[in-house]
Amino acid sequence: MKRTLALTAAALALLATGCATKNDAKYVDSQGPNTIVSLDRINIQDWNNAADKLVASLLASGVLERAPELPAVMAVSRIRNNTQQQVDTDSLTKKIRIALNQTGKVVTTTVLGPDGKQEDAMAADVGAMNNFMAGEKQKTTLPYYTLSGKLLEDRVKSGSTNQITYTFQLSLTTVKNGLAVWEDETLITKQGQRSSVGW
Amino acid sequence: MKASLALLATTTLALLLTGCATSVNTVSRADPQATPNYVPDQRVITDATLGRKVAIVSVNETKVSGNLLKIQVTLLNKSSKPQAFTYKFDWIAQDGMEFSGPTGGWKQIQLEGKEERAVSAIATSATAVDFKLKLREN
Repeated sequence: MKRTLALTAAALALLATGCATKNDAKYVDSQGPNTIVSLDRINIQDWNNAADKLVASLLASGVLERAPELPAVMAVSRIRNNTQQQVDTDSLTKKIRIALNQTGKVVTTTVLGPDGKQEDAMAADVGAMNNFMAGEKQKTTLPYYTLSGKLLEDRVKSGSTNQITYTFQLSLTTVKNGLAVWEDETLITKQGQRSSVGW
Repeated sequence: MKASLALLATTTLALLLTGCATSVNTVSRADPQATPNYVPDQRVITDATLGRKVAIVSVNETKVSGNLLKIQVTLLNKSSKPQAFTYKFDWIAQDGMEFSGPTGGWKQIQLEGKEERAVSAIATSATAVDFKLKLREN
């Protein structure tokens, strides 16, 4: 009898806890296993996984040590988005930049960008002003490497099951000769009928 | 009638056999040339069910890009059915402080039946001297 009561109480407690949190907003770990998986979007875990694999590939390749000076200066070139979504490619490149910066082998210039677009225009202006005031010619540290890439997607459907594959391609080019010294791509495929929470 | 029954039985049997054939057969060099640097490990099992499904075969380490710790853990799906797991590497510095890389976080892996596969990670900081791999069932 006592056991039955205890079990009933435990079951009720579990039910009550479940009911209280089911539809309420809550915080989840951005890098945890309980984030939402969408079939029609690149999710945060997709950017994270793609960046992780590409950084690991780049570090394992050993090309970064071949730069004449370490940390090597890298500029982020164009990352083409050939997916149907509007995405900010910084979701990928910033993670890669942070990881490479932490290794101490690469620093990224923020005063040079594709089509003359500077990420940090103020740094460029202040640098130019400093040089002018000192009576020196403008000196901008030129990158040894540039990072470029492309995002692709492939959608297929069989019956009610949708499948989407995102391809993340990157190339690291040595500026002085225009040769891609490292290239890799990583694919992320998601399949299902609707979006879900978790993996 | 007999022919139809025989055809149905054959089809059913073929479907059943196909359904069961999910485990992985492998072949490799009889005398391996690789000389991995194995790491003695300690394990904490809090999920006995997961412990029965996946085994840690080996842990080995190397240094990449000069001074960055790379850890590879070989996993084995002990079941004949495909199993999906999530895993996460955390890093520990010389002073015992634990940290996660900017691209860390839980990653998914699906192992086919009886498949053995390695998962690896590279610490993005040269301060990492130790690691912790966490495994979680989906």
